[in-house]
Amino acid sequence: MIIMEFEELKKIWDVQTNQPLYAINEKTMYNLILSKKKQAHHITNISELLIIIVYIITGSFVLGMNLFNQSSNISMYLLSAWMLGSALFILVNRIRRIKGDKQFDRSMSGDLDHAISVATYQVRISQIMLWNILPIGVLTSLGLWEGGKPIWIALIALLFFALSYYAGGWEHNLYKRKKRELEVLKKKLDSDG
Amino acid sequence: MTEKEQQQIFEDWLSQHKTLIFKVVRAYAFTVMEQDDLFQEIIIQVWHSVPKFRGEASVITWLYRISLNTAIKWSKKERKHYPSETLEGVQHILQESRIQTDERLTWLYEEIYKLDEIDRSITLLLLDGFSYKEMASILGITESNVGVKINRIKKQLISKSKKYDHYGI
Repeated sequence: MIIMEFEELKKIWDVQTNQPLYAINEKTMYNLILSKKKQAHHITNISELLIIIVYIITGSFVLGMNLFNQSSNISMYLLSAWMLGSALFILVNRIRRIKGDKQFDRSMSGDLDHAISVATYQVRISQIMLWNILPIGVLTSLGLWEGGKPIWIALIALLFFALSYYAGGWEHNLYKRKKRELEVLKKKLDSDG
Repeated sequence: MTEKEQQQIFEDWLSQHKTLIFKVVRAYAFTVMEQDDLFQEIIIQVWHSVPKFRGEASVITWLYRISLNTAIKWSKKERKHYPSETLEGVQHILQESRIQTDERLTWLYEEIYKLDEIDRSITLLLLDGFSYKEMASILGITESNVGVKINRIKKQLISKSKKYDHYGI
């Protein structure tokens, strides 16, 4: 039985310096770079912006309709205030997140810390958005009821929010799992042995 | 930095150090489609990194950092499903070399692939001759921690070489 010494393993490894494992299709590669170089780096960026835009548009629309109709529907005023407040909250958190991005070094450990910090942020925001469905759902249903709409419309709205809560919970669990996996990796990197 | 300058530097880096990226791709991705996917992710990150390079580390160290960090995060992503019937129509960036690969190298990559993501990185750096200090800087851990991990990995790889001989490959 022969046991290879590490130096022998290194010799085997060095073979590929003269014999690359792959060839690159350069045309396809540059096409890919052209198509992706302007793309946003992080999904967090897109989901944050989407939440902010949706809340601002919906909140402003509800407020505008109330003012236009000179409505005295308190629940709808509260709903628009809540939505615009939520947009502001996400915006402030986004600014804090972007400022915090610069404090990580470029090592693997720093990169993992950064990924964990982004994942923690995603878990926190998705949790808050999940809880946020409750007041929005209640205020919308109350507003519909207060506005004299049939009870079944308010019930359909409640059902819609219940489904949103379910989908939001699924997304939240996805972020939690991703965060746990990154923490396991970081633990492995930091452990002695 | 103009886009032309960025492209020139990117091309220089790739022509001189593509083997480094190939090693990371081969160590972290198993199937041809996965290797192509990971290679794409790495070159996009390398492209974006060009204007950020300040020359504080060597280009090799810089490229290893980017490639390994990308590969580790890529390996934790939800696996994409590649239906076999779509493979023919897809244009791959990576094409496997037609030169017969040394079967001992294939065995070595298989053993590296069996290690966890962190140990794979350390093994690649070790086999490429990085010092403990350089590895500690790339990984962001202490030199003594690097030393402990390397001792364990070396023992593990050397003991696996017994089996390699046993099967008479």
